[in-house]
Amino acid sequence: MSEFLDLEVQDGVRMAWNVFPGTKQEATSCVIPVAALYTPLKPIPTGSVLPYAPLRCRMCRSILNPFSVVDYANRNWICPFCFQRNHFPQHYYSISEDNLPAELFPQFTTVEYESAPEAAPTTPPVFLFVVDTCMIEEEIGYLKSALSQAVELLPEKSLVGLITFGTYVQVHELGFGQIPKSYVFKGSKEVTKEQLLEQMNFFVRKPMPNVGVIAGPRDGLSAESIARFLLPASECEFILNSVLEELQKDAWPVPADERASRCTSTALSVAACLLGVCVPGSGARIMAFVGGPSTEGPGSIVSKILSEPIRSHKDLDKGSAPFYNKAVKFYEGLSKQLVHQGHVLDLFACALDQVGVAELKVAVEKTGGIVVLAESFGHSVFKDSFRRIFQSNDYDLGLSFNGVFEVNCSKDIKVQGIIGPCASLEKKGPLCSDTIVGQGNTSAWKMCGLDKETSLCLVFEIARKDGPDAIGQPTNNQFYLQFLTYYQHHEGQMRLRATTLSRKWVAGPGCLQDLVSGFDQEAAAAVMARLVSLKMESEADFDPIRWLDRSLIRLCSRFGDYQKDNSSSFSLSPRFSIFPQFMFNLRRSQFVQVFNNSPDETAYFRMILNRENVANSVVMIQPSLISYSFQSGPEPALLDVTAIAADRILLLDSYFTVVLFHGASIAQWRNAGYQNQSGHEAFAHLLQAPRDDADAIMKERFPVPRLVVCDQYGSQARFLLAKLNPSVTYNSDNPPPPGGDIIFTDDVSFQVFLDHLQRLAVQ
Amino acid sequence: MASSQSFPSGVPRPRPTSFPPNPNPIPPPPPFASASLPDAMQNLQIAGPRGPPPSPSARPGPPPQTIPGRPAVPPQPSLASRPLPPPPPPPLPSPLTTTNGPPEFGPGAPRLPLGPPATPPVPQGAPPFSASLSAGLPMGVPYGAPPTSLHPRGGPPPSSQPFGGLPASSQPYGVPPTGPQLYGSTPSQQFAGLPQPFTAPPATSPPFGPPMWLTQPAGAPLTSGPMQTPPGMLGVPPHTTSQQLPPALPVMNLMPLAGAQVSTPSKIDPNQIPRPMPSSSVVFFETYLGNQVTIPPPATNECIVRDTGNCSPRLMRCTMNQIPCTGDLLSTSSMPLALMIQPLALPHPEEEPIQVVDFGESGPLRCSRCKAYINPFMRFIDQGRQFICNLCGFTNETPRDYYCNLGPDGRRRDVDERAELCRGTVEFVATKEYMVRDPMPAVFFFLIDVSMNAIQTGATAATCSAINQAIVDLPEGPRTMVGVATFDSTIHFYNLKHSSQQPLMLIVPDIQDVYTPLHTDLIVALSECRQHLELLLNSIPSMFEKNAVAESAFGAAIKAACLAMKPTGGKLLVFQSVLPSAGVGSLSSREAEGRTNVSSGDKDVHKLLQPADKTFKTMAIEFAEFQVCVDIFLTTQSFVDIASISVVPRTTGGQVYYYYPFSALSDSGKLYNDLRWNISRPQGFEAVMRVRCSEGLQIQEYSGNFCKRLPTDVDLPGIDSDKTIMVTFKQDDKFQEGAECAFQCALLYTTVYGQRRIRVLNLSFPCTNVLSNLFRSADLDAQFAYLLKQAASGIPTSPLPQVQEQITNTCVNSLHSYRKFCATVSPSGQLILPETLKLLPLYTLDGWRKLLLSCGDFIIFCFHLSSID
Repeated sequence: MSEFLDLEVQDGVRMAWNVFPGTKQEATSCVIPVAALYTPLKPIPTGSVLPYAPLRCRMCRSILNPFSVVDYANRNWICPFCFQRNHFPQHYYSISEDNLPAELFPQFTTVEYESAPEAAPTTPPVFLFVVDTCMIEEEIGYLKSALSQAVELLPEKSLVGLITFGTYVQVHELGFGQIPKSYVFKGSKEVTKEQLLEQMNFFVRKPMPNVGVIAGPRDGLSAESIARFLLPASECEFILNSVLEELQKDAWPVPADERASRCTSTALSVAACLLGVCVPGSGARIMAFVGGPSTEGPGSIVSKILSEPIRSHKDLDKGSAPFYNKAVKFYEGLSKQLVHQGHVLDLFACALDQVGVAELKVAVEKTGGIVVLAESFGHSVFKDSFRRIFQSNDYDLGLSFNGVFEVNCSKDIKVQGIIGPCASLEKKGPLCSDTIVGQGNTSAWKMCGLDKETSLCLVFEIARKDGPDAIGQPTNNQFYLQFLTYYQHHEGQMRLRATTLSRKWVAGPGCLQDLVSGFDQEAAAAVMARLVSLKMESEADFDPIRWLDRSLIRLCSRFGDYQKDNSSSFSLSPRFSIFPQFMFNLRRSQFVQVFNNSPDETAYFRMILNRENVANSVVMIQPSLISYSFQSGPEPALLDVTAIAADRILLLDSYFTVVLFHGASIAQWRNAGYQNQSGHEAFAHLLQAPRDDADAIMKERFPVPRLVVCDQYGSQARFLLAKLNPSVTYNSDNPPPPGGDIIFTDDVSFQVFLDHLQRLAVQ
Repeated sequence: MASSQSFPSGVPRPRPTSFPPNPNPIPPPPPFASASLPDAMQNLQIAGPRGPPPSPSARPGPPPQTIPGRPAVPPQPSLASRPLPPPPPPPLPSPLTTTNGPPEFGPGAPRLPLGPPATPPVPQGAPPFSASLSAGLPMGVPYGAPPTSLHPRGGPPPSSQPFGGLPASSQPYGVPPTGPQLYGSTPSQQFAGLPQPFTAPPATSPPFGPPMWLTQPAGAPLTSGPMQTPPGMLGVPPHTTSQQLPPALPVMNLMPLAGAQVSTPSKIDPNQIPRPMPSSSVVFFETYLGNQVTIPPPATNECIVRDTGNCSPRLMRCTMNQIPCTGDLLSTSSMPLALMIQPLALPHPEEEPIQVVDFGESGPLRCSRCKAYINPFMRFIDQGRQFICNLCGFTNETPRDYYCNLGPDGRRRDVDERAELCRGTVEFVATKEYMVRDPMPAVFFFLIDVSMNAIQTGATAATCSAINQAIVDLPEGPRTMVGVATFDSTIHFYNLKHSSQQPLMLIVPDIQDVYTPLHTDLIVALSECRQHLELLLNSIPSMFEKNAVAESAFGAAIKAACLAMKPTGGKLLVFQSVLPSAGVGSLSSREAEGRTNVSSGDKDVHKLLQPADKTFKTMAIEFAEFQVCVDIFLTTQSFVDIASISVVPRTTGGQVYYYYPFSALSDSGKLYNDLRWNISRPQGFEAVMRVRCSEGLQIQEYSGNFCKRLPTDVDLPGIDSDKTIMVTFKQDDKFQEGAECAFQCALLYTTVYGQRRIRVLNLSFPCTNVLSNLFRSADLDAQFAYLLKQAASGIPTSPLPQVQEQITNTCVNSLHSYRKFCATVSPSGQLILPETLKLLPLYTLDGWRKLLLSCGDFIIFCFHLSSID
């Protein structure tokens, strides 16, 4: 296990199989696909950035790496991917075994290049705030203060724009000095970029070219006309604050039996067009703050009539969500536009109601945007998360822009696609697989926005056919992968990160042991979670439980140790031992069990899952539980209802929620105030310890999780109970120990699950 | 009316026109064919044969023959040249020189009030010409000028018609001398004209005349603008400069009747020319006197009206003060039957204010059949238990609480206490029944052009400062609401909400499909936003100082503004400087096209005076539905296509102000003054007007600035003291001799203070079978207003000559009718004018000229309705 973590530290990569099945057939029987979870911008321990351009193979354009075979005498190198021999250029002539360039150091499998600063002028990042005003004054108040705080935190040079919307969309011209000025667009009508150019007087002083206007300064848009809407944060702070101060609830009257008229989609479309007009191709984020469902314009998710409820999962399944498809189609179009422009859409959805995250998902995910879902703009989940975006400290997100991700691999490996926040650039080539998973049929992807945490899940296909010659090459049983990420660093420069991996492949009858030793069950669980989510979204009539069960059974059948038809003889290698538990919890997780969640919440959970690394994904699938008691220090507890005891404090981290659960006795003592009495410092300390740990978790996580502090038998305790293995239920034979708890559920417990699994696996 | 004995002494009588008729009431109206007939009118004797052909000189180009007549004098110069002044007609010298009246009068004519000096030339003229009175009067003939218009038609027949009896068509050419006098701007010109007759041998005249007649159409175009091709137009010295006399001369030629004087110059007495003589003294006028309708004084006179049954002539005026019993009689008279209604006309300060009558919950008493409002002419019978409607004749029950005994005279005893029973004009308080919604506030929305041109010419600055000064005069109180928007190629609204620190600008960029950016706060109570408003108006010019947008989205802007005003309605004041060139209702610069059409003599020139398309009309009807009244101030230096734009104010009860070419220096004050009057004058909103009349008459048409959705009602989103509406009638049934024919106009409107009122105007006239009575009771001012309005409405749809012809015909026909039926005995050489209408020819000619001038410059002759009345 730890070796996988070490590899992750070095390269930011975790793979379900670290020893590859060598043939197509072999791979198929492995059940879990050959997949890698890669965090492109994970800080690398070596930390150094190479201040020169990389050396590329002239055949396959892959980059010189430690796996290249270097001929020092002849000063050339052989590309491990295509076996092309390349000569070193002049400035590498001093190369020798003792004098290696950094990218050839064996431990430097991941290196970062930075192009010369003069090559590309650094453009400051753009933040365009798109603010919903159809909210109660209180919410607007929270949002205002959050925004003005953000403006203070913004880097001075970064450009800021403001759009507000409700019934209409208002584009504020912050650069107009005299009085607050805004352009008002109708919410029900889409605006094209051309209309925007014309209607906002971008080409007043000179005629607009007839054709081919992409706009931006390149097409003759004057800097002044751009500066009307996008201003350096330092210059517009005052005017922005005064506009925010005047900001009020949308003034259009709303009948009592109707929803407010909120044109989210039009506002976003206007925002996208504005950025497309002003700063195409350079890093920019649209930050949308939405406080309710969109009811106006092409992306509306529900009608204005209050008696018509917002779509549920059931409606989506039955196809009785009349707005859904149209809205999704609209946002697909919007995402295309944004990807084309290289801009990011961030979504801050703060409402008790749904706001349409499910529809917006495609646009946010394809552009690599951030998404935060909270109950209110006053809630810490929003407030703290939002602050984190702009704060620069140890936990800053390292927001980067305009990423392009490329893959090179050995010829026997093909790429099926990526599940994660990126968009296909439709660069087809020989290494694209015919079967597509997620964003596929390409070897390059656009990542308009990415940060230190962003993790992609690459799914590979082993194309190597079984054959007599296939087995006889022990010398070259390595597969090579190279991941290239070009991006605009948050400090402005363009960078290229190259990660080159080498993995052994095995084939043939004796390979099982090798495969087992290379199995990373956590990564596999994360891959399965992404896969099952994707399939649930994209495949009609997909039965996730069945699919997961069958996969698990097949996996166990193949890699388990058992006598046929003897379930008691079944055992699993330690490499696989927790995997069934992961699957058990995944079946019960919010990703699979959509019942009780709104489509918005489901979409939100999946979007976060799709951008998180393995460790965090595992927490989402199987929350961690820590127990605190007088008897022992903090220790991990089984995620089981039996973990509950009256004299314990439990800390549950399910990623989105952190639950602090006080046993009944603890709660009584606390309510009696013992922690404040002298002589009871130990109790005070016991109370404080989980708090500190919870704070630590919240501090480093983005989006900031929701903290639930509850007591045994309290109503909030459900947040804990829902995650625990129901080993003791209301109809169990064995009663709970005193101070323990039961769960009112008919769900199977893990033991029952495992029994079934063993029985089926051995058949 | 006609003064019979005036004739002998001639001179004094004709003038008295300016006096109210009452002063010389002639108890027995002269019977139709009485011997005194000639006396009843002003006769002009025309010495046909004398007709000298001086005219040639007048026409520069055409008649070669002229030259023989006056070899020495080249046509044009001769006229203009002053050398000739010395030889005035011997008898006239002193009077002429002393009384410059006539010449001045000519140019001044269009402006009625400017009339001749008060000093009456009468005495001078009188003695010498007593004998030649008839000849002296010819001066009046020129007013007969209208016949000139007949010429274009080459029309001996029509021309001869009015003067049917006249011997020779050639005679007309004799007129010239009078012509110059009338039209010439200086006395010298007069004289210049005069000698000619002498130079020209009488004999030549016959040969002369005809060619002139015929050639005119061809020759005319030379001097003046293309529009003036028709000879008739030439006749009017377009710019009244002396140099342009030549064109004027033909007119003289055309004067068929004046020819006589040429040979006997002694007969020409300019003093005899009937002309308006507004007296400087204030006239007291009672509308109804001893059960008799009185004839109102001319509109030009200052007068104090006492409403004694009929309403003040200021408010409602009929073209005749007796109504013909039959339709035949009406058509025989060739006079129009029409009402000029100016329902909110300003009263004289010394007049009694209009009384407001409140009937309480039940609302004003009305005839249950025709819904006419109670008025002084409704007759109470059966001891007051019933009353008979004077409009439909229906017998109504008197409501219990309105019952009152009748006195010995058959009138209700309380007549004098109740305004609605003794006044021709009252205002009823409207009850809920008369309201579709609560009375709207007084909303004033200012829409200002800030396109590059407007900024650079200073129009925007002038406008903003004018508004800033003028809002002081807006009615006080919470009911006065204001809003401001500016526009170039986009529309900029301003949120003037009190609570915000400064006005917020909201731009509507979509000018194809406009909308209002806010639901509230665009229109705010003046008392709450005065500071913001002033701040805004002060900063608008500087805010747009560097505006480089040359486009103007006028149509979209007014539409958006109207949407903003939709909930309330109100007055939209638009300040526009350039041709609307973008968005809804954008217009093309038709002007250039128009000019080429003109120069090529295109027949469809008048199309330029029609709206380019229906966009604005459709819009305007929508505005009217929202009760939005649009006034447009055009501060322009270029073509703005008023023809298209003006449709909006015309349909919404608004008005066009035209400052062309706009100069910030000289027009700013005027703009302010106009604006100030516009918003501070007495006015009402959300008005509906209906006119009722006695059975036997039928309303033919309403005309004026309004919108009409129902055939019977006129919708006026805005109505003010300056607006007049004309209603024409046709007769479909007979009246009994001696019966009374009544008109009632009811105007339901909301005052600026938010009261809903019904203003009811009543007129009741006796009916007559006698044609001469009609003429005697004719109202010149109303008739002339009718003429002008007809002409103005005709101009955009028919070629100008045709319009002119129509005016002339209307005038000629009624005069002809008078001559034919009321003055059969008169000598054939005389032009006979009914006393009441003796100024009609003069007015006609002047109105004519005004039209011509306007059209020549492509200026639409806008109805300043008030100025006509």
